[in-house]
Amino acid sequence: MDRGLILDVRDVSFRYAGGARDALAGVSLAVATGEFVALLGPNGSGKTTLVRVALGLHAPRSGSAAVLGRPAGEWPRQALARVVGVVPQREDNLFPQRVRETVRLGRYPHLGAWTAERAEDRAAVERALERCDVQGLADRWLWALSGGEYQRVRIARALAQEPQLLVLDEPTASLDLRHEMELFELVRGLVDGQGLAAVLVTHDVNLAARFADRLVLLADGVVRAAGRPADVLRRDVAEAVFGWPLTISSVDDRPQITPLRRHP
Amino acid sequence: MRWLGLVLALLAATLAAIVLGPASVPAGELLHSPIFWELRLPRALLGLLVGGSLGVAGASLQSLVRNPLADPFLLGLSGGAGLGAVSAIALHLGGAWTLPLAAFAGALLALGLVFRLGLVAGSVLDPRVLLLGGVAVGAFCGAVTTAIVTLAEASELRNAFLWLWGGLSGASWQTVTLMAVYVPVPLVVLLAAARPLDLLTLGEEPARHLGADVLATRRRVYLAASLLTAAAVAVTGVIGFVGLIVPHLGRALFGGRHRVLLPASFLAGGILLVLADTLARTAVAPRELPVGIVTALVGVPLFVLLLRRWTAD
Amino acid sequence: MRRWAPLLALFALTCRASDRAATGGGGPAHRIVSLAPSITELLFALGAGSQVVGRTVYCLYPPAARAVPSVGDGLNPSVEAVAARHPDLVVLYRSPQTETAARQLEALGIHTMMLRHDRLEDVARTAQLLGQATGHAAAGDSIARTLDSLLSPPVPAPQARIAFVVWDAPPIVIGGGSFLDELAARAGAANVFHDLTAPSATVAIETIASRDPDWIAVVRDSAGAPPPGWAARSEWRTIRAVREGRFLNLPPDLFGQPSPRAPEAVRLLHRMLSQ
Repeated sequence: MDRGLILDVRDVSFRYAGGARDALAGVSLAVATGEFVALLGPNGSGKTTLVRVALGLHAPRSGSAAVLGRPAGEWPRQALARVVGVVPQREDNLFPQRVRETVRLGRYPHLGAWTAERAEDRAAVERALERCDVQGLADRWLWALSGGEYQRVRIARALAQEPQLLVLDEPTASLDLRHEMELFELVRGLVDGQGLAAVLVTHDVNLAARFADRLVLLADGVVRAAGRPADVLRRDVAEAVFGWPLTISSVDDRPQITPLRRHP
Repeated sequence: MRWLGLVLALLAATLAAIVLGPASVPAGELLHSPIFWELRLPRALLGLLVGGSLGVAGASLQSLVRNPLADPFLLGLSGGAGLGAVSAIALHLGGAWTLPLAAFAGALLALGLVFRLGLVAGSVLDPRVLLLGGVAVGAFCGAVTTAIVTLAEASELRNAFLWLWGGLSGASWQTVTLMAVYVPVPLVVLLAAARPLDLLTLGEEPARHLGADVLATRRRVYLAASLLTAAAVAVTGVIGFVGLIVPHLGRALFGGRHRVLLPASFLAGGILLVLADTLARTAVAPRELPVGIVTALVGVPLFVLLLRRWTAD
Repeated sequence: MRRWAPLLALFALTCRASDRAATGGGGPAHRIVSLAPSITELLFALGAGSQVVGRTVYCLYPPAARAVPSVGDGLNPSVEAVAARHPDLVVLYRSPQTETAARQLEALGIHTMMLRHDRLEDVARTAQLLGQATGHAAAGDSIARTLDSLLSPPVPAPQARIAFVVWDAPPIVIGGGSFLDELAARAGAANVFHDLTAPSATVAIETIASRDPDWIAVVRDSAGAPPPGWAARSEWRTIRAVREGRFLNLPPDLFGQPSPRAPEAVRLLHRMLSQ
């Protein structure tokens, strides 16, 4: 296995118990250090499942998944959490919490049951807050934040883990334009500035094309196209995957798709 | 500062419990009086241990079943204990320790049933299953208990319900020693699970991604908290409201981190129960109120104050 | 105000009759269902045992009563089971639950009688009422006279202090509102909890200890001669009488409910205290 890869998923097939068809069929995904990869595809195409299999949460029926060269299923949970910071789609806070408290939870992979927090932990939390530009919100309650602020706080928590790979599952799903742009800029900045790798699952094809280094296009559990945005977002491929007539334009040297009206 | 206040409150409550009582013992004679040594002191210590156990169990279980209204007795343990106790009386089993042992056995049975339910169909002790299973098991045990009381002819059964209502009247050095030896182990298990519990409050998936072993944590917390509750019920019957409100008091004063919340809940639970018991013994002397009523009467105003603070924040 | 006076008087009259007597009917009742052990005992004592066709499952005294078919519970009676005995009179112990059962029985056309006797003077009056209803008025009067002669002399000076402990967890003692308190007083024992007006109450162990009774009375069969199980527990041994093993085992058929054999109960208790 290639040791320069943070994530190395080869040819995995997986079906959920009781599922009618394979959620993933022969899917491969390779993410190198310092790479920003976007996972795209319609609902139910297997994007979240691919992330779960890549991180060892599900065992594939065939194929392999490795993190830093070691099989994903063999990673002890806490050790994996020191390497990969995940911002899942859903989170449900049980009790009211302040921003700093929730970011501190990101240090837990570095702490045992009885070890107290050290100065380096507090420093890591402050750095994470700063990088995500939320240190001014540190003492606010989570429920008082806007959607965009809340997502940045969750990313800060993942950063506090001091990971090598950041995984974000549809982080901009309910954000307005400004906060969406801010989030993509943030992730791009972290990849460029800190050398993190990032895997971002999203519906926003155009922003993914603008910011990511590589795109992986999934449909029905199969990879339809993977590579640089210019290679993936070609009209014939994109129309087949998204099932809608499109026209391709270009912004910042990156392809942008625009869906056409059926009845002009 | 707040810890100091808590410790001072603890000392004050204990002092009140050993000085006040329906039998008037002059302060000078206290240390020579068997009432002090054999009744009040063990009773106060038992109150601290049982109240503390209920507070800690409540805090952990509220996080475990993801419900701020969870009480340690919501998981069927009180029903099981009542069934055990009533069965022992109906079968005319004598002996000084029969009731507590039977209640403990009944609680363990309920614990096992709910645990088993939580693992059905590959479930990983899903909080909702635990909660619903607990309510179901509790209701079932309660129904069987009522049936036994209705059908059996032992006239003492009517008094069994008074025992179930809960009270520290059975406090003695033996029960205190038993609890003091028993309680540390589940306590340590819960404290060790403090950080994973923090993570679990985010939800199952985020917790997993932050390194928590969800199933193992849930198993340990459920068993430890239930064992604490089972012991409390066996020794003092069902004392409600302590496990429900003390965790919220703890959160309001000390925040939600379990490393701090759990010890704070232990202390606060002990204080609340000892205060309530002192009131129960002295308010209508020479008669005694069931302590479960007093914990509710004392707890509700505190709870209301808390709610106002929350909404004001 | 003038208009209300006759209404008030009528209201007062109906309230004053605290025991509702049998309504209508003519001669004495021949098929009686008794829904309380004390009533069953009274009926047999009146000589009306052969007229009793139903009893509760708890009615075990006198032994002849056990031959009478049981109709179940007395405080929460099954109206159907009672009616199945075809009674012409049902006697109930008055309480909120039995009020409902009585109404249902009256709706079926069965005459009912509601009695309440927590104290011995009530037993005297109950004996007379039942005596008249069963055609044994003379026996009823005789029982009443016996009880009156027990109760009319002044209470003797107490020779000993006594506490009745009914239950241990939580500790329940008998107070001044109970017939046991009266029996004790007549036998020369002062109930240390006489000041509690209720028939029974929960107290703390330290209260019993501080009132320091000479004897602890427990209602149970004498066959169980050793002290009750809770007497071995260290917290109960703060009470002197428990430490010294000074227990009185009172037989339930004499001391379990207010009974026409109260004079016998008093004599027995007096003998036990003298030992």
